[in-house]
Amino acid sequence: MITIDFKTISISDLAALVTNKFAEHNIKTILVGGACVAIYSNNRYLSYDLDFVTFETKGKIRKALAELGFEPKGKYFARADCPYFIEFVSPPVAVGQELIRKFKSLPTPFGQIVLLTPTDCVKDRLASFFHWQDKQALEQALMVFQDQEVDLQDIENWAKTENHLNKFKEFIKELKKTKIKSIK
Amino acid sequence: MLESLFGNESVERVLFYLVQNKTCYALQLKKQLQFALSSIQQALLRLESGGILVSTLVGKTRVFQFNPRYPFLKELSSFLQTAYESLPEEIKKKYYETRIRKRPRRTGKPL
Repeated sequence: MITIDFKTISISDLAALVTNKFAEHNIKTILVGGACVAIYSNNRYLSYDLDFVTFETKGKIRKALAELGFEPKGKYFARADCPYFIEFVSPPVAVGQELIRKFKSLPTPFGQIVLLTPTDCVKDRLASFFHWQDKQALEQALMVFQDQEVDLQDIENWAKTENHLNKFKEFIKELKKTKIKSIK
Repeated sequence: MLESLFGNESVERVLFYLVQNKTCYALQLKKQLQFALSSIQQALLRLESGGILVSTLVGKTRVFQFNPRYPFLKELSSFLQTAYESLPEEIKKKYYETRIRKRPRRTGKPL
């Protein structure tokens, strides 16, 4: 049996633990946001937020999370001895105007995490860069690209439909500077 | 007009205001829409927590706008615009299209 130390648990183990607790309660969740970046960048980016998307009711969520010792604190759930917060983002899962229907399952010692694919995670970060000039989000997109297999053509097509092709070109320019992966 | 859909009138008015004015803050809406501040604040927070609006702090003021990442923004804006156009002209002018200066004014410039 695995013992859980909530003080030192990794973000991916906690995400898996929560996902599996929800599954016990027949609650489907998708992990989105900065936690995906942390997982895909092997914690080069640190996030203390676990943002989940679900269509379930708050009552069911509260009951499931209470079994893990997480209690509601305003808009998020927290546990006194755990550095991470759990939040719920309004559905559906989308990056810009594109609705997302395919997700990635990642195995961990605590079970599976269902989360954005690396390509959608890059799009998610780029959406913040496109709309708010958020350079941190651009850096996070670069980190995920460096550490994961990402479909650049798909991202370019998406950027076109979002009317942000110029910003996408800035992303490519930054990618070329990193020189970690070859860019076509 | 849409309060039965949105749950209350303040949400409807906030959305109509944003369709016309792009950004807003609670105190401005209180004056403009002649609504209680608490009901405006609740409406803004509700729309923000639903991902429809986002906010940023400008000095000490929290300024709200439509969330450009909201997946149904195009459809919602189009729906709101159509509904807005059906409002009587006097209501539009009174609440949503008051003639206040929005263009920049250089610091220190006399009136």
